[in-house]
Amino acid sequence: MGWTGLWIVLGTLLAGTLAGALLRWREGRIRPTRDEPAPTAELPTQVTEVLVAAPAVTLVQISTTFCSPCRHAHARLAALAESTPELHHVDLDVTHQPEVAHQLGVRRTPTTIAFDANGAELLRVSGVPVNDELLSALQPHFANR
Amino acid sequence: MSAGPPVDPRGPRFAAAITTVVLAIVLITSWWPLLAVQTVIFAVGAFIGLRYAPYSLLYRSLVAPRLSPTSEREDAAPLRFAQLVGFVFGLAGTVGYAADLMLLGVIATAFALFAAFLNAAFDFCLGCEVYLLLQRFAPATGNQA
Repeated sequence: MGWTGLWIVLGTLLAGTLAGALLRWREGRIRPTRDEPAPTAELPTQVTEVLVAAPAVTLVQISTTFCSPCRHAHARLAALAESTPELHHVDLDVTHQPEVAHQLGVRRTPTTIAFDANGAELLRVSGVPVNDELLSALQPHFANR
Repeated sequence: MSAGPPVDPRGPRFAAAITTVVLAIVLITSWWPLLAVQTVIFAVGAFIGLRYAPYSLLYRSLVAPRLSPTSEREDAAPLRFAQLVGFVFGLAGTVGYAADLMLLGVIATAFALFAAFLNAAFDFCLGCEVYLLLQRFAPATGNQA
């Protein structure tokens, strides 16, 4: 195979570098939800049953057993919820209920979705969130009490 | 089933770096026995345990003593799942090369190289994070581990 093989290796490494750079860039980025979904109606029951009453915001973290960053995200979000009375954190393990992730449109873990008490999605973060950024993005929603 | 005790996170990354080099050599030389060996190495990590995986032994005996110790630990389940994904691609690649189905051999090996490189260079475990995606295409893997 020789030269062809070498080109395939270089192409694969280039593709890997681009993918890696993209993933780095997306890691922990906060994506505000622009079009508000219809509250609760389409949400899986596994999500609706963990939402807590206003004024709180619930951070629903989607995890699987096979995901190491999920553990890091869990530790951070648990600490954040601990120190922020308006925040509630729930870690949903979807290893054996992938349909929940499918319904939410979550393809990679960890993905964290912030919901208000009515089940309206506020924002989502894929990867391990940065607490300070997450908190300032959520601050306006705390004010709407 | 327990996946085994948590591990020093630098070990799997070291293993991914060696895997990257091995897979690149396979693609350049088309020497499939090397891919067969790599496939067996994936199988040891996936089915027997990380403790006995050859690159992990190499890390513990040669590399770890030269590094400062770390208290950081990574859960074994995601890592073993990733080795399982590597095993599937390695097996497909070996069969492809050995049976003269070059396209299968090259594509499967290139995918494995892509994933190993992402892990080594960006500390991103592709197999772990796209578990949900894999499960949608191959529901059978949902019962593993």
